[in-house]
Amino acid sequence: MNGAGRIVGDLMPLMWSGIVSGCLYGVGALGLVMVFKSSRVVNFSHGNLACLGAFVVYGLSSGTLMSLSWASAVGLALGVAAAVAALSYAVIAPIVFKSDLASTIATLGIGLILQGAVQLLFGADIVNLDLPVPRFGFSLAGIRISSYDLAVLAITLIVVGGLFAIIERTKLGVAFRAVSTNPFACEVCGLNLRSVHLFSWLAGAILGLVAALLIVPTTFLSSTTVPSFMLQAFTAAVVGGFSSLPGAAVGGILVGIATNLFSFYVSPEFMNTFLLAVILLTLNFFPNGLLEQTMGGRV
Amino acid sequence: MVSSNRRWAVVSELAQASNRPIAGQSGRTDLMWLGLLALVALLMLVPLIAGGFLLYSLALCFANALAVLSVSALVRYGGEVSIGHSFFVALGAYTVAIMEHQLGLSVLVSAPIASALGGVAGFVFAFPSRRLSGIYLAVATMALALALPEILIGFEKLTGGFQGLYIALDLIPGVSKPLQRYYVTLAVLGLVCLALAQFRRSPQGMALLMARAQPRAAEAMGITISWARISIFTLSAAIASLAGALLAFSSSTVSPNSFSFWSGVFLLVGSVVSLNGLSLPAAVAGGAFITLVPTYLANAGDWVPILYGTALIAVTLAANAGHLVRFVSDRRR
Repeated sequence: MNGAGRIVGDLMPLMWSGIVSGCLYGVGALGLVMVFKSSRVVNFSHGNLACLGAFVVYGLSSGTLMSLSWASAVGLALGVAAAVAALSYAVIAPIVFKSDLASTIATLGIGLILQGAVQLLFGADIVNLDLPVPRFGFSLAGIRISSYDLAVLAITLIVVGGLFAIIERTKLGVAFRAVSTNPFACEVCGLNLRSVHLFSWLAGAILGLVAALLIVPTTFLSSTTVPSFMLQAFTAAVVGGFSSLPGAAVGGILVGIATNLFSFYVSPEFMNTFLLAVILLTLNFFPNGLLEQTMGGRV
Repeated sequence: MVSSNRRWAVVSELAQASNRPIAGQSGRTDLMWLGLLALVALLMLVPLIAGGFLLYSLALCFANALAVLSVSALVRYGGEVSIGHSFFVALGAYTVAIMEHQLGLSVLVSAPIASALGGVAGFVFAFPSRRLSGIYLAVATMALALALPEILIGFEKLTGGFQGLYIALDLIPGVSKPLQRYYVTLAVLGLVCLALAQFRRSPQGMALLMARAQPRAAEAMGITISWARISIFTLSAAIASLAGALLAFSSSTVSPNSFSFWSGVFLLVGSVVSLNGLSLPAAVAGGAFITLVPTYLANAGDWVPILYGTALIAVTLAANAGHLVRFVSDRRR
């Protein structure tokens, strides 16, 4: 095989796996953007909550706490994540309208507490948490496609499709869009801002947990992996402009491809440094995200 | 040039005006000065009675207090949150260690260089987000904090990898090590506090405060907001690197263990707990909180983040207490 052919041969599988993991970064980023759009708070506890949720699934399904089936463990973990998200919002509710900065600092406090809780309950162990999907795989145009890839794509499509359907079609979605455009006018019209905030925090927690559960099978689960995985989600949100939902999804896929190429061709050890560079370059050249240039205006 | 001179004249008039009411309540000011002097005298006399380990911990407290001070200065003057100041602290600490190992220079030479390097790094880092709201900067500092460990481990030849480096050279020959660690860190911390108090009264400091409080009025007076944001971040990063230099000197060792992702968050915890104060007592309180709690609660390792998180939330809520009361009474209505 000649040089160019080899590059193309490498490139296609890299792009494919980049898209697959990029979907998950996008799902993580959607959670951040939902919270930011409605309540103007950057939720730094996003990764820690997702980590706690993933550990709850592990604890309930592996026999550490209980030995339930995977599906019921996930159901319970979603409940736990939603409860913690509601509690987190209750903590910052008194100051959320007063100061974005103070609320953002408070989410760091919540993140610290959740991090401590994970370490207390599950220790510093490194565990495996697989997706219970039948294992198969096939090749298509030189790309190996596994059942994991298909599961990720399917779940992402369902979750993101569901989210956009809620935002586009339901009354709650209309309220969410209204609040993220002009909270003051909404309050004047008698809309309950708190319930919209709560909706976005719950949605954010569920999106974060889904992303964490799907990304963990590719690596492993420990008290630090999921919070640092969320850096990819933060980068995706910045690339997408931090207040655009489609931007977050597209940003996730771009970040997924870029990190995959970087770790293959340059070095996997400097991944966070690369993401830092991506964030700084994006902020400098596309302060409102990449999508604003191509699509004109935010959604 | 003329217009810029005029601008400074106007801003310094404002500074004068804001000083006047403070001078009016001289009774309280005198009391505060007395308290401060008593604290300084107390800290100066501690080595007479304290043992080696306490002196060592206190020297670390002062170094961390300076790092906390750098975060507080950023919050106060820039209204920005940084959870990545551990990067600049590490930059200062490793500058001292590497200059000793490669060039054989003591902290007397390397600390100013460390501080200058920190300022340059802060400038480069703050430049891209100069026109954006502080939230983008906070996200970027998170990436900075997460990138730090892999940079320290990646450049193993310079940084010593996982093991880190030792610092052995004395600053003042002939004085015992614990004593010079204690007094040098205390002296630098005191000097920076004095300098910040002076900065608060200077036209430049007033300009930064105005840019934060009234951006439009500041723009109208010729203060460029993006420039104000970059300069306070540069200043803050320079202080953080100086703190790192002191930390390396007072602990005699640098390693990636002391610069994990959470150490940047802890600096913010220290700053919030000290109510973002820029005075010596506030800085020492913040530094002591993040230094002594992990030392004395070493058995309760996993409870430390929970305690820090609770403190962070409690102080943040209490600092906005006025709003809290209204929130509760809103509920009753």
